[in-house]
Amino acid sequence: MDAMSLPDADAVIARARLGDPVALEALYRAYSTPVYNLSRRICRTTEDAEDILQETFFEVCRSIRNYRGDGSIWGWIRSVASSKALMRLRRNKYRDTDELNDEIAPARGASTALRMDLESAMDRLTDTARAVVWLHDVEGYTHEEIANQMGKTVSFSKSQLARAHTRLRNYLGEEALA
Amino acid sequence: MTAHLSMDQLIALRDDDRSEPGMGEALQHFAACIHCQSELEQLHQRTARLRALPSLAPSTNEFPAVHARVTVARQRRSRAAASLGLAIAATAVFTLITRDLVHPKRLDAEQLLQSEITQSQQLEHKLTAWNSDQRVINGRTAILVIQLENKIAQLDAEIAESAKMEQQAARVENEIKLWQQRVGLMNALVDVHLSKAGNVGL
Repeated sequence: MDAMSLPDADAVIARARLGDPVALEALYRAYSTPVYNLSRRICRTTEDAEDILQETFFEVCRSIRNYRGDGSIWGWIRSVASSKALMRLRRNKYRDTDELNDEIAPARGASTALRMDLESAMDRLTDTARAVVWLHDVEGYTHEEIANQMGKTVSFSKSQLARAHTRLRNYLGEEALA
Repeated sequence: MTAHLSMDQLIALRDDDRSEPGMGEALQHFAACIHCQSELEQLHQRTARLRALPSLAPSTNEFPAVHARVTVARQRRSRAAASLGLAIAATAVFTLITRDLVHPKRLDAEQLLQSEITQSQQLEHKLTAWNSDQRVINGRTAILVIQLENKIAQLDAEIAESAKMEQQAARVENEIKLWQQRVGLMNALVDVHLSKAGNVGL
């Protein structure tokens, strides 16, 4: 990601730390899509994702001087974005109950007509479960990192992931072979 | 172990996480159970499908708004310091003049000046309380904010210049005019931040 999206990354980061708007825009161009994608996959609406995108890069522009370079620049920007996205979820706190999702979930083994595509199935997860699945299985965060960002325990993160996969399997109408 | 593996155990197997309790027994069961092997395969496939979902891109370029917010935040910090200095200087002059009990007409003018300065400071406080630096704005609003901030910065420079005028009455008259303009612009800035950008007329 880094090398492909941001050629000459070290020089760009050095200029960005001095407040050079061209360098800051180069950072935005390199990472706006992955930041938006992460935000959109965690939150439900494009409006939320656009707000998180703006908030993330506002924070990046303000705090890039504090970036020490001890991890990848994408890792740092991504941690800002995921933190903003989780903050947005906490603020919205909409539709985050398992009960509601159980009601709208088709029973396991329902007909193929009722089967959902993966994106719809993800949309039907609770906000917390969807965030944990995305951060762990796609972005590669550890349970420790997720727990830390969410202010929860490791076992909370693990159980959310397991419950989310059980629900995804049901929503998708998947059946084990035997 | 006869029961099939739980989703926690399947995920622990997928992630090679040996900290999950009962994994030794679970592995023995897994080696002999086609059902659980199939479940794990589905879990792998589902994860791969998640990772293969198309990357979603933003439909708008948010950088102009981001840059505007950063610029405004920087300007606001320096403006707040500058306007506080201007207000302190104007108040000091006002105190000296009223102590000397100058002509009543000039005293009225000084009071008017002080009133404008106070209004301007109140609006600054309102903006600070609104915490506009931390709020998401759209591109059009960002441009309006920058225009207003620039005009206020110009006025602050004129106010600082006005303080050098030697003739007291002319200085006060000039500063009243400038501070009134500043109050007008500060009002417009507050309006913009309160989502009334359309009413500003810029």
